[in-house]
Amino acid sequence: MNQIKKIVQSKQMVTFAWIIGLVAVWEIIASYVEKTKRTPDNVLPHLYQIVESVFSPDLVNGSQTAIQIVLSNAGITLFRAAIGFVIGTAIGFLLALLMNMFTAAEKIAFPYLMIIQMIPILGMAPIVLAITKDIDTSRIVIAAILTFYPVATNTLAGFKSVEKEKHELMYSLAARKRDIYKKLLIPSCMPYFFTGLKISAPMAITASILVDTLQGGGGLGCMLSQSLKHAMTIYVFWQIVFVGAIIGILSYALMTLLERLVSPNKKAKR
Amino acid sequence: MVGMKNTNDMDNSYLNNDMSATGEIGSEITIENLSIQFPDKDGGAPVVALQNVNLEIKPGEFITLVGPSGCGKTTLLRTIADLQQPTTGSVNIRGKSPREIRKEKKFGIVFQNPVLYDWRTVRRNVCMPMELMGIPKKERTARVTKMLELVGLYDFGTKYPHELSGGMQQRVGIARALAIRPEILLMDEPFSALDEFTKEKLHVDLLRIWSKTKKTIIFVTHNISEAVLLSDRVVVLSPHPGRVSAIVDIDLERPRGLEIKDTDKFNALVSKVRNSFEGV
Ligand SMILES: Nc1ncnc2c1ncn2[C@@H]1O[C@H](COP(=O)(O)OP(=O)(O)OP(=O)(O)O)[C@@H](O)[C@H]1O
Ligand SMILES: [Mg+2]
Repeated sequence: MNQIKKIVQSKQMVTFAWIIGLVAVWEIIASYVEKTKRTPDNVLPHLYQIVESVFSPDLVNGSQTAIQIVLSNAGITLFRAAIGFVIGTAIGFLLALLMNMFTAAEKIAFPYLMIIQMIPILGMAPIVLAITKDIDTSRIVIAAILTFYPVATNTLAGFKSVEKEKHELMYSLAARKRDIYKKLLIPSCMPYFFTGLKISAPMAITASILVDTLQGGGGLGCMLSQSLKHAMTIYVFWQIVFVGAIIGILSYALMTLLERLVSPNKKAKR
Repeated sequence: MVGMKNTNDMDNSYLNNDMSATGEIGSEITIENLSIQFPDKDGGAPVVALQNVNLEIKPGEFITLVGPSGCGKTTLLRTIADLQQPTTGSVNIRGKSPREIRKEKKFGIVFQNPVLYDWRTVRRNVCMPMELMGIPKKERTARVTKMLELVGLYDFGTKYPHELSGGMQQRVGIARALAIRPEILLMDEPFSALDEFTKEKLHVDLLRIWSKTKKTIIFVTHNISEAVLLSDRVVVLSPHPGRVSAIVDIDLERPRGLEIKDTDKFNALVSKVRNSFEGV
């Protein structure tokens, strides 16, 4: 009895129940849409049809199959997102350091950070494009902008969370500022820093895809809008949705893996 | 104020190695009219943690602060260590301010909580202060090994703090403070989290370390028997406001072992300390 309860409450079971539920809802709606279809393609295909389309050898744009298009464009998007992510991480971390070192920097910078963060990506994109005058650069810049905020705020929170007593130990040893950062603040903020990375990695990818939709030049977003406008089969759209989701999850997993590599003592939470 | 000016019953041999900057032989730490108040956050009357404390500590002396919770033991220790500023009065260490002594890295502090860095192994925790002091790696490793053996944690060197019991963590803190070979060792209830067996072992060890190195030790405890066993003098603090209510000379012979606890003289001193508390 107890064991059944345990199984039902276990994490895998919960995930499993969610997946079953989602599939059921999907299929019900897909069947409904199928009956009322007006467009050449079924906008919401059945799941099995999407899976089928992945393995289908049919060329959709004359030279590539659907999955080839999706994967090659995913590479382009991922590359831009990754560059933006790395730049954003570096800026976010440095900003957190500055804000922690100089209270004035924090007071001046923080409101701007909030404002930048509140502008929707699609509103920001044309502004960034106008400044950089290059769509590829602006894609990277936008991924960076979305990344640096969670990294900066989480890292700053990490610096501030260090207990007074740990500071006092350093103080009693007359540690130099550099050593305090190296041996106390930076190691203790790592869990927070990685929380920031885990939030921003999928965001950088989503942003990259969204900004792709604004102009040509390849990338998942471009294909996404073409597919939605029926310039390409609808299956490309759905494959992109799933591939995008998988990449997002993988980027999160990658950050978790990195964290384990950087801080082997992962059990300690403080 | 029994025995405050008492200087002649000490072994004089170590006095010679400390000609303090002022030339004033016989005083390592001088605390004069020290008062510390903490302002009340709601604008009420401030908390008087210490009131008009006067104390002279001699070089190489083992001095213990005893008193009930909240009587200002930690506050006094923190003031000596430059972690707390006096409201009025002064602390003078070898003719210098606590700040100067701290900058010279002469304090070793064992905090009331262990304060370990949880991303560092036991060994690297003990190592950390030595890294700050620029002690060469080889020397560091040797000292870490020695200190961990001393506190009985050699086999736990590669563990992380969260894998240790509270008492073991406290011992890591002790090893860390001793590893830098401080000239003044400040210990805030270092043994109160330990079981009787470990505690007694560490009493013996601390007595041995002290007799070998002749560091000045200021030791805080609730435990009267511990205070009598270890110290040259016991400073009895009383609360509300925190003040020195007595100083008891412990004229038991040295070196001391645990067997001294069974003597009448020891028990008489324990009673004497116990009877010195006021307003508890
Ligand atoms: N940072 C602080 N702010 C305000 N009040 C404080 C502060 N530190 C200590 N006090 C007050 O000063 C008094 C003495 O505190 P202290 O920590 O020195 O006591 P203690 O003798 O070490 O007690 P314990 O044996 O419980 O450790 C207490 O009344 C405490 O409330
Ligand atoms: Mg205390």
